[in-house]
Amino acid sequence: MAKYLTQRILAALITIWVTTVAVTLLIHLVPGDPVRIMYAQSQGTTPEQLEEIRHSLGLDRPLYEQYFMFMKRVFQGDLGHTIRGRQPVLDLLLIRLPYTLLLAGTSLLIAAAIGISLGFIAAYKRGTLVDTGCMVGAILGVSIPHFWLGLILLFVFAVKLGWLPVAGDDLRSLVLPAVTLGLTNAAIVARLTRSSMIDIFDQDFVRTARAKGLPKATVLYRHALRAGLIPIVSMLGLQFAYMMGGAIVVENVFAWNGVGRLAIEAIFQRDYPLIQGFILIFACIVVVVSILMDLLYAWLDPRIKYG
Amino acid sequence: MTEQAITDTGVMPTEAEPRHAGEFRRLFASLLRNPGAVIGLVLVVLLLLVAIFAPLIAPYDPMQMGAGKRLMSPTWSHPFGTDEFGRDLFSRVVFGARLTLQIGVIAVSISLVCGLLIGLVGGYAGGWLERLLMRGVDVLFSFTETLIALAAVAVLGPSLTNAMVAVGIATIPFYARVTYGVVLVERSKPYFEAGLAIGAGHPRLIFLYLLPNVIPPLIVVATLGISTAVLAAAALSFLGLGAQPPLPEWGLMLSAGRDFFSRAPWIMIFPGVAIALAVLGFNLLGDGIREALDPRQRKA
Repeated sequence: MAKYLTQRILAALITIWVTTVAVTLLIHLVPGDPVRIMYAQSQGTTPEQLEEIRHSLGLDRPLYEQYFMFMKRVFQGDLGHTIRGRQPVLDLLLIRLPYTLLLAGTSLLIAAAIGISLGFIAAYKRGTLVDTGCMVGAILGVSIPHFWLGLILLFVFAVKLGWLPVAGDDLRSLVLPAVTLGLTNAAIVARLTRSSMIDIFDQDFVRTARAKGLPKATVLYRHALRAGLIPIVSMLGLQFAYMMGGAIVVENVFAWNGVGRLAIEAIFQRDYPLIQGFILIFACIVVVVSILMDLLYAWLDPRIKYG
Repeated sequence: MTEQAITDTGVMPTEAEPRHAGEFRRLFASLLRNPGAVIGLVLVVLLLLVAIFAPLIAPYDPMQMGAGKRLMSPTWSHPFGTDEFGRDLFSRVVFGARLTLQIGVIAVSISLVCGLLIGLVGGYAGGWLERLLMRGVDVLFSFTETLIALAAVAVLGPSLTNAMVAVGIATIPFYARVTYGVVLVERSKPYFEAGLAIGAGHPRLIFLYLLPNVIPPLIVVATLGISTAVLAAAALSFLGLGAQPPLPEWGLMLSAGRDFFSRAPWIMIFPGVAIALAVLGFNLLGDGIREALDPRQRKA
């Protein structure tokens, strides 16, 4: 277990290191002069001012020096300042981050609750109309763009029925974005749960439990569901990363004030320090969550004693 | 959003031995026995036909604005109504099919070619090159495609072409992983070892021995990948980072119609249905091809 954990953490550190390199290079991959592009929207910046900015961002130094400067600042908890407003990037991201985590987390719970139930029922009723119905729903769910589903839910529940707010930062405003993101991902969870449960139902230990004459509910919950949940948990870890990605889009539909909205604004304004900070923070969260999910997986499955 | 579905093609690499023409006919026949796959095929063919014959189908110029015809509800002369500039929505949705297909094909071609090369070279070469390439793929994979696509657009700037490139880059890991997995299996088989023993050169081993076995699972990944690409590019356009006005791109149309949708809900209904049907078509077709290729699903 310790050996496995060390390996996982090492791999995570490599990923984060690659991200820091990629983030430093990012600004140099921009076709044309990044400083000119960044300040294109603020008129009347003189060439001298541009040079000064270039110098203050360290862009006039050799690449390796820029990287070390960047890393030194990262270790001091400084991700630089935004181009517009000169605000500290880290503070800005940390203020918005809880909103995104709340949205992604709630959506994950919704996706898991709906997806696992439907997938389980479909597997149990394999080959029946119920199964077909669940799977038709699931394939529709993976095909519907979440930003479109979001717009429709917004139209029906906020504009027409007036049950929920159109936008805002309170818990009532969380419902629609979380349901939007949760529903589209529930479809993926349902498909995977179904195939995982079908494998389990066919296994000897389930057949033995049935043959022993155990009550149906005991066989289903104590034997089948527990075993079937293990691969699903590991998948939910990956799912969380996609929830974070999906949150970027959904936040923009519902004007939910998370990091995703901030990131899109930053891309529009070509605010590279903010974009760099966002990518780094986002990658760190995804990496940490995937390690946590692996641990949960190991804890759930008594057979696993990594290493 | 069908990432898991894409990497888990369910195609047994061992199934991918070189086939003859009869094998393809059998595959097609088993595809036609699957109702889901048939619906998928119909949707994809429909999309193709609409894209090819768009100028014949569309009653109006998709860019032509009409001052007195803003936000008209659906009528016989404007079956999908008109948008905020008085443009015929039906014609715009029809021409949007061209953009959508273009996006899907270009983005998938980029990721397919890059992923195939990385997977083939990584799996064939072994050693440090293998470790470097596949570690790189792992790192890209953990970033999720949305982040990579956003980073790519942040660098290149918002435009339709850049969105296609961004989505293409973002989905390389799927193709690289599938290719690599197949190559690893094939590399240890007797026919490959025989090839090595008779002194076949690198190009021969890679292109005549390995490549044909990689193609069938990659067809599945690419078909499902078109749906992922279409969804991702539509999302980028919706955010304003992809296609720019006045292009009749479905995601962009949804985004532009947002401010009017309480007055004119048709603006957001038709482009959304179009995206969903296109994505559904490729998803169903991809699932169908996977099942047809999967020996476990085959009735002997």
